[in-house]
Amino acid sequence: MSLEIQDLAWGHPQPGGGWRQLFNGFNLSCPTGQFVVVIGSNGSGKSTLLNLVAGTLRAGAGSVRLEGRELVRLPEHRRARSIGRVMQNPLDGTAPGLTIAENLRLAEGRRRSLFSPQALLGLHPSRADRRRYAELLETLGLPLADRLDTPVGQLSGGQRQTISLVMASLGEPRLLLLDEHTAALDPRAEATVMELTDRLVARLGTTALMVTHSLEQALRHGDRLLMLQEGRLIGDWSAAERHQFSPASLRELYGNATVQTDPPSIG
Amino acid sequence: MLAIWIGAIDQGLAYAGLALGVYLTLRVLNFADITVDGSFALGGGSAALLLSENVAPPLALLVAVALGALAGTATGLIHTRLGVNDLFAGILTTTGLYSITLRLMGRSNIPLTDLQLALDRLPDLGWGSDGRWLLALLLVVAGLVGLLALGLATDLGLALRAIGNNAVMARSNGISTRRGLTLGIAAGNGLVALAGALVAMYQGFADVTMGIGSLILGLGAVIVGESVLRPRTVPQALVAVVLGSVLFRAMIALALQLGMEPVDLKLATALLLLLALGLGRLRIPGVSEPGGGR
Repeated sequence: MSLEIQDLAWGHPQPGGGWRQLFNGFNLSCPTGQFVVVIGSNGSGKSTLLNLVAGTLRAGAGSVRLEGRELVRLPEHRRARSIGRVMQNPLDGTAPGLTIAENLRLAEGRRRSLFSPQALLGLHPSRADRRRYAELLETLGLPLADRLDTPVGQLSGGQRQTISLVMASLGEPRLLLLDEHTAALDPRAEATVMELTDRLVARLGTTALMVTHSLEQALRHGDRLLMLQEGRLIGDWSAAERHQFSPASLRELYGNATVQTDPPSIG
Repeated sequence: MLAIWIGAIDQGLAYAGLALGVYLTLRVLNFADITVDGSFALGGGSAALLLSENVAPPLALLVAVALGALAGTATGLIHTRLGVNDLFAGILTTTGLYSITLRLMGRSNIPLTDLQLALDRLPDLGWGSDGRWLLALLLVVAGLVGLLALGLATDLGLALRAIGNNAVMARSNGISTRRGLTLGIAAGNGLVALAGALVAMYQGFADVTMGIGSLILGLGAVIVGESVLRPRTVPQALVAVVLGSVLFRAMIALALQLGMEPVDLKLATALLLLLALGLGRLRIPGVSEPGGGR
């Protein structure tokens, strides 16, 4: 298995007092190269799950293994050396004051320690870097190859998100985490980013977890569909099984899952 | 008359390390670092102490840089490991540094009247000792700008710039923001301490209070330089900051020429900075926010 989550537990204090245990003994196994789409209502734990895998949140208990390597005790930046990530907000995934080439260079060097000899020697992005990035962007059909020196802050939200996606794919990631990465985009940019997502996941052959609220995306993309409710898996369908759903029937199921009983509360 | 302007340029160059240090922490790392007030005096005081004990000037400068970097490391660790707000972390270190500098110096003021710096080995530009200082400082500052420009173009430099731009993105690309911030703040304060040492050597004494208002002076240099050159690249920004330091000193010289009392200089400096802040030219993390905050 590429990604193995076992007995994951995580909770948080509630504003009015008490404790909400969102995940309690959560398990998930994903084979290498599987593109998993995760849906669920707000508060179901989709983004929290991604944050627990990425290390933005620390699990209370349990194990998260990526290709056999335990991640739970590693800080976020160490986990990021093998995890590519695209966030919901296009502003979060890139450094706006740095150019496209500089952002790509940072992502490409994700496996490098800050104080490694390679990080201290050589000026980057070099000509060779820039040639490589221009080729990559052209190969992916992105009309940004001639704008490598443009600060990313000057790009549109959709363009920033495509750069963020390309960045996540650099540096040989073992896992891609896509957290509602088209939620802030207009339909045209969303289609472009999703088309690029499919191509990059296929090209890398890496495991991917994509969280989305779009049921159309959930039915069209990925090899497996998961539905979360209150930190529990209430649906797990392969691509073939997923075809039983029409957008309307999935919406109905999704709607039923959204109508919740009171969240489990302790204390 | 010319001597006044050459002297102003000399002072601007001597203070350039301060401006570059403030640029590194504030602009590159997005970290408002008040430690500079303490590390400037620490650099000046420690260098003056060593020079008064006949230690070779290059070694005295190196020790000053190392002590400044140590002060910056303290602020970095307080901020990143203990989670103390950036401004407060700097205030804590600066407060402690006052006693440390005074302990190091053994007294509040060290004169350097008999200092031999071998500046006469440099060619005479016809402007006497000020001209030789100009050459020496130009060499030092050019070296600093070159080193910084190269350093910020490496992967490590790129990582530091990413931390200041978007720490969330930096972490998600494998960069340790804790270590990066600490390293950057240490480097910034090393530069500031070097400026303190150079200023002490240039003016012929070090005083334990010489660091008061250093942050404002550094900010002033950054603002003036950026306003004049409007830099688009890192090397341009570094040159702009040095130019800003010289222009800032020239403005002070001009103010004195126009009859301003030296006692009013700090007020004039603060008002200039306030004007720049009000015009929205400068955004200081934790101090000023877009749209005026609330």
